[in-house]
Amino acid sequence: MGQVQQVRMKDMMPLMKEKLAAGQSVQLSPVGISMLPMLRQGKDCVILKPVSGRLKKYDIPLYQRDDGHYVLHRIIKVGETYTCMGDNQFREETGVRQDQLIAVVSGFTRDGNYRSVETLSYRVYCRFWHYTRPVRRLYRAVKRRLHRIFGR
Amino acid sequence: MKLSENFALRQVAGTWVVMPLGDATLDFNGMMTLNDTGAFLWKALEQGSDKEALVAALTAEYAVDAERAATDVAEFITMLANAGCLVE
Repeated sequence: MGQVQQVRMKDMMPLMKEKLAAGQSVQLSPVGISMLPMLRQGKDCVILKPVSGRLKKYDIPLYQRDDGHYVLHRIIKVGETYTCMGDNQFREETGVRQDQLIAVVSGFTRDGNYRSVETLSYRVYCRFWHYTRPVRRLYRAVKRRLHRIFGR
Repeated sequence: MKLSENFALRQVAGTWVVMPLGDATLDFNGMMTLNDTGAFLWKALEQGSDKEALVAALTAEYAVDAERAATDVAEFITMLANAGCLVE
């Protein structure tokens, strides 16, 4: 007759937009590995608030690509449009427009504990993770090269 | 027994969902969804039906005997109460 369950964000987009339009928050569990190590699928949740004005570098918006996909990635560059990339990715997505933004992360839960994006430790994390990306990329490239030479 | 004003029934993508209103965060990880019977009972509750009226409405609308209907209604009410959807 009824049950409390996880629902697909895609299906519930009208509700989400209604809630955000009223200035309120929504919570969901992100899918995929692109925002590791910060967000682990099935474990961590994000709390999203409405977008008011331009976003800043390191903000994490939920946006919709023109092909319809919903994406939750971090802004790594702000210009006329935004450049976004998941914390666990190396490929930039350029040209994300303001009109594609649906909401922005205001906090998240890890192991049941709520953390605001305003906390110092979080702010240090996103900067550290951003600036060490070239090191991770190099590590990955070297590892791949070695695999190719020596096999697994 | 009355429905809390902090919730509203919505139909989205063919599914009935109970949406928290006001400042409560909408949690997509734990949303209450209802089937058609659940939605029928929710609407009856909105009209101010009490438990007996719900059972009567259920037996009138669906091919179900009073005993079964009473069990279903009790289950439904427990679920709503646990989710905080009911006020005294």
